[in-house]
Amino acid sequence: MSNFEKVGGSFSLELTLDEAHILINLAEQLLELLGEGDFFHHYDTSDPLAQLLAMPSEIVTPEDPVLLRLLPNAYADPEAASDFRRYTEPALRSSKQRNLRIIREELAILVDGDHGGIIENLDGDIWLTALNDLRIALSVRLEINEGSFEKFELMPDSEPEKSVHAVYFWLGWLQGNLLDNL
Amino acid sequence: MMATKFDTRTEGDLSLDHLVDRPWVTIVWDDPVNLMGYVTHVFIKLFGFSKERAHELMMQVHVEGRAVVSSGSREEMERDVQRLHEHGLWATLQRDDKI
Repeated sequence: MSNFEKVGGSFSLELTLDEAHILINLAEQLLELLGEGDFFHHYDTSDPLAQLLAMPSEIVTPEDPVLLRLLPNAYADPEAASDFRRYTEPALRSSKQRNLRIIREELAILVDGDHGGIIENLDGDIWLTALNDLRIALSVRLEINEGSFEKFELMPDSEPEKSVHAVYFWLGWLQGNLLDNL
Repeated sequence: MMATKFDTRTEGDLSLDHLVDRPWVTIVWDDPVNLMGYVTHVFIKLFGFSKERAHELMMQVHVEGRAVVSSGSREEMERDVQRLHEHGLWATLQRDDKI
C-alpha cells in the first residue's frame, strides 16, 4: 500500500515500481499535452529575456477539453476571457509544467532504478497540485461525474475501461492520503 | 420592475458612481473531481481563511454549485482567479450581481 509520510517539513512516499510507472507515465503525457518540448532548455525560463522569442505569438482558447479544464476561461464573456488568457496563460502553463517536471524527476529515481521504494524530501504542495492536475486530466477523458464510482464498482473485470478507472480512483486515494498527512 | 433597473431617467439611489464602484467577485464552481479536503486546503492556503470558514465555503460550492470566495478590484480578482486556476479549481470573475 503506497503511503505519504510527513518527515519534518517535507514528505516521503512509498511506491511499488508499477505505481511509479503509472505516475511518471501520466505526468509525461500531461507535460506533452501542455506543450513541453522534448529537449533540454539551457536558458532560465523565468528570465524575461526568454519570453522574447519563446512566447507563442497567438494564444487561443484550447480546443482539447483537458486543456480547457486545466487552463479555463476566467470570464463568461468570450472577449474578456480571451484578453485575460493572452496575458496569463503562459504563466499558468509553466506553473503546471513546473510541478509535473518536479514529480517526474522524483519518480524517475524509482523508474530508472527499476525498483519500487521510498522517495524522499517531497514538497507536499507541489505533489498535491500535480496529483490534482493528473486527476482532472483523467477525469475529462473518462467523463467522470458524481455517479462514476458506483459505476466503476459494478464494472466487470473484463471491461477494458475498468483499469483506467481504477487508476483514476487510486490517484484520488493517493491525494487524499497526502491531505490526511499534511 | 426589471426595466427600471438601468433606466437612467429613473430617480433613485442608483447612481453611476454606485455602478462603477460595484466590486468584482471571484466565484468558485463545483466540479465532480476536486476532493472536498483539497478545496478546503486551497481556500486556507490562498485566502488565509480559518478552517471553519474554508469548510463552510467549500460546502457552499458543493451544495449550491458555486460560492463567492473573494471580492475587490478587478485586478485583485484576476490575481485570485489565476491562483485558483494554478491549483486546479474552476474559478471565474465578474461584477458583483448585487446592486
